[in-house]
Amino acid sequence: MSQKILLVEDDEATAEFIAKGLDEAGFTVDRAANGRDGLFLATDGGYACIVLDRMLPGLDGMAVLAALRGAGLDTPVIILSALGSPEDRIKGLTSGCDDYLVKPFTFAELLARIRLLIRRSAPAAAAETVLRCDDLEMDLLARRVRRGERAIELQPREFRLLEFLLRHADQVVTRTMLLEGVWDYHFDPGTNVVDVHLSRLRKKIDEGEARRLLHTVRGAGYRIGAEP
Amino acid sequence: MKIWHSTTFRFAALVFLFQIVAAAVLLLGPALLLRSQNHADAVAVAETLRDDLLDAYADGGTSALAHAVDARASRRIERATVLLLARADGTPVTGDLDRMPPGLAPGAPYALLKFARPGHAAPEAMLLQAVRLRDGSLLVTGTVVESERQVLALLERNAMIALALSVVFAAFAAYVSTRLILNRLRASIATLRDVREGRLSRRVPADDTGDAFALLGSEVNQALDRMAGLNAELKIATDALAHDLKSPLTRMRAALDRAAQAVEDPQAQPYVDQALTESERLMAIVETALSITRAEAGMGRESFAESDLSELLETVAEIYSPLVEDQGRAVVVNAPAALHMRVHRQLLDQALGNLLDNTLKYGAGTITLTAVPDADGAAITVADEGPGIAPERREQALRRFSRLDEARGGWGAGLGLSLVQAVAHLHGGTVELRDAAPGLAVRIRLVEG
Repeated sequence: MSQKILLVEDDEATAEFIAKGLDEAGFTVDRAANGRDGLFLATDGGYACIVLDRMLPGLDGMAVLAALRGAGLDTPVIILSALGSPEDRIKGLTSGCDDYLVKPFTFAELLARIRLLIRRSAPAAAAETVLRCDDLEMDLLARRVRRGERAIELQPREFRLLEFLLRHADQVVTRTMLLEGVWDYHFDPGTNVVDVHLSRLRKKIDEGEARRLLHTVRGAGYRIGAEP
Repeated sequence: MKIWHSTTFRFAALVFLFQIVAAAVLLLGPALLLRSQNHADAVAVAETLRDDLLDAYADGGTSALAHAVDARASRRIERATVLLLARADGTPVTGDLDRMPPGLAPGAPYALLKFARPGHAAPEAMLLQAVRLRDGSLLVTGTVVESERQVLALLERNAMIALALSVVFAAFAAYVSTRLILNRLRASIATLRDVREGRLSRRVPADDTGDAFALLGSEVNQALDRMAGLNAELKIATDALAHDLKSPLTRMRAALDRAAQAVEDPQAQPYVDQALTESERLMAIVETALSITRAEAGMGRESFAESDLSELLETVAEIYSPLVEDQGRAVVVNAPAALHMRVHRQLLDQALGNLLDNTLKYGAGTITLTAVPDADGAAITVADEGPGIAPERREQALRRFSRLDEARGGWGAGLGLSLVQAVAHLHGGTVELRDAAPGLAVRIRLVEG
């Protein structure tokens, strides 16, 4: 059964673009063009995630969010906003939304974040001490990494990067997600900072192997997984 | 600063001067008046006596004069007068002096002399005049003014002491009155300083005295209110601009995003990618320009949170280290174990990122990140060993949309250092570009507040 996503967005073109993309990604999308309809649909429940525009006619995004949380609904919510200042972002994050995405964004970024939220809201597995992907194995306690029989020496920063990737195995993680998730650094330098980290990590993991595990997803980010 | 041009100093000097002059007139005036009055009285008594005697001489000649002098001297009619009749050579004939006082020229006006009378142990001050008579003998008349002199000297000494004290009082009065003015101005000055440092909501405390200082305070408050109003309008305008620009940009990005995925023609691919990159760059410029405007306007203080600056530097160094190493360079962090301070974490991240980007683009050698705590905050320095920036171009480097090297295109449209400066200002501090000899050191002062 495909998961249902509620999209509350008043801008027709943006809504069309997101809905089409999510549909292609295998989600079922319900759309609302204003806050009131959005709130009505949301309280109906059954959504895996709600994508909520901040500036809406009538009831604005933050009010919808407040009403949802007030009603005890804990469906994950991503706020979309043209207000990109850190204050707006922090205000958003402290008022009960789970993620905050500033316009313009790439669809890949939105998709990656939606998948992350849905997965996060699933019942948490027991605390893992070993992360695996194909024949790559990371022992979090001993802080050792092996690929098959080969031991891989990683610098602490590479270890943390790989850990983040493995915790989101088979998902696309974007550059900004990596900066935020690994370093808690909330600024995209715009240069190829992240790419250099990844290419070093790839060299240690994939070089000389028949199967590549660390993939670059064009226009989006990176993915670790056995599937090419 | 020329202190004598300072109005405060002039005011203090004026108060001081008036105090001194008033005290001097009050204290020394009576003494001087008394002295001259006393002198005139003494001379008048002596002149009356002299004229009486000269009348006697004119009537009865030398013998009548001698008789009169003798009678007056022995009877001591005038207790404080002195008389002497002497021969032409100065030998006394009769009177209350036993010899001619030395230094008394005949015919001169009454002069003050110190002279001992017979039967008196100490010399006394007296006003004396000698007159040569027709037959050549000398008539000396005078008044003893010793006790008056002593009273006057005492009076004058007291006046001088009082005057010396009044210098102290005048200085105190000058100090207190300037203090009074400065204290009245202090509220306005402190408010303006707070506002300059970004605490925009500060106002001069209300004052119902209605004087010039209260007026100044209320004018300052009104000016600040007006400024706050303009700021609020600016915020609305920038938000609207962000919104207005971002919506079309969002659609453009979306279209390019889909185009990049749909395009099959390998020849078109690089152009679509380039368009995507440029749209990202455009967004970054709009975003950064807005961040600068907001930070310079002091917006964002509500997002300050306790952060560890040392950890922040370590993080930035770690994120950039692969890029730095690829250039064959190194990045070093010089910071205490922990340095906690309330800062705008995200803007500081961005400022440091900009500085690292700059040194990667224009600098050379080892990059040193330093954090040093100081009395009221901390200083973060990013230094390299590259060519640096010439002292005369440093101010230009901090200006918005200015690039020192136009030929080198960059990501940030010349906003990097302006953002760093705006972030420093938001934290009540400053940015300084220094010579790291060799290299450029950018020092960000952050003030805890």
